[in-house]
Amino acid sequence: MSSAEGSTLSREETGLDSEFSQLLSAARPYQVVVWNDPVNLMTYVSWVFRSYFGHSKSRAEKLMMQVHEEGRAVVSHGPREKAEQDVTAMHQYGLQATLEEAE
Amino acid sequence: MATAFRATTKGYRADLEQHERRLLSSLCADVIQLLESREDEADPADEAAAPDGSASPAGSGSPAGPGSAAEDPAFAHFRAELAGLGGEEPLAPPEDDVLRRLLPDASTDPEEAGHFRRLSENSLRGAKIADLRTARMLLESTPISIDDDVAPVFGRALNDLRLTLASRLQLHSAEDAERVHDLAVGSSAKDTDAFMAEIYTFITWLQETLFSAMTEFLPERGTADDDENADEADPDASGGAGTSAP
Repeated sequence: MSSAEGSTLSREETGLDSEFSQLLSAARPYQVVVWNDPVNLMTYVSWVFRSYFGHSKSRAEKLMMQVHEEGRAVVSHGPREKAEQDVTAMHQYGLQATLEEAE
Repeated sequence: MATAFRATTKGYRADLEQHERRLLSSLCADVIQLLESREDEADPADEAAAPDGSASPAGSGSPAGPGSAAEDPAFAHFRAELAGLGGEEPLAPPEDDVLRRLLPDASTDPEEAGHFRRLSENSLRGAKIADLRTARMLLESTPISIDDDVAPVFGRALNDLRLTLASRLQLHSAEDAERVHDLAVGSSAKDTDAFMAEIYTFITWLQETLFSAMTEFLPERGTADDDENADEADPDASGGAGTSAP
């Protein structure tokens, strides 16, 4: 959150050329969202969050419940490349996942 | 009658009837075939060869031999790729509902999703085919005994079977899930949907027992999430940072 704000500020302040602003965009933080669906089992989703992300049992179950009740949850943050890896891994496990720029 | 998965000294084990194993295995084969069929739909050569319309249909078994006349479609694609990252055409999602569910969009923005699909769909498809092939091998013996390291592979394959059946059964909501459940336990005169619903319910049960057993053996790694979220100012995580209940 704070880092995204920081990059906006510096772009406005210094009027960067396009090359540098491209660099910035590559470094911008991304997040991976898992969406609710009526097929994937709660046990399974929690297991995936624990085994793939290394989340604790309580954290994994909290994220799983968030997906279930709110329809979506952010499960990981990081640079674009990592988000791409994570979203592909979630797809391999059959979860509905998308990546987006972090707010 | 099948028994639930249970832990053994080196993995997990379940007893399935021969007809149950055959059924699961043939379902895996169907999904493999479906995933393989996507190759034609998503073949980049189709688009690259489009302009002169002379792409020879004589698709010999070997992948595009070098030194063929005119411009090799594979080379045209390669050249397009060299022209710059922006040169990658987005790849349209599959037409088929099941394939769209097994190979979902990675972004809510269709164009972004198309670009990502162009780069990654092929390897995702390959990974799913590999999972399903492993599952078919494991389904050949009885009882089904699965080592720790292949258990996730088998579990993913079961999940893909469930996603496939769910998609064919139009299972998109919690209400649909109830309908499918009622269908499975309902009338004894079975039509195709009722039969699929019954298989879906069976695989759901099997997957649930496998992951319940697997969950018991997951090491508790209580700190990884706190570390990861420390710099992201996640309001949830920062509240209880430091000590997650053991």
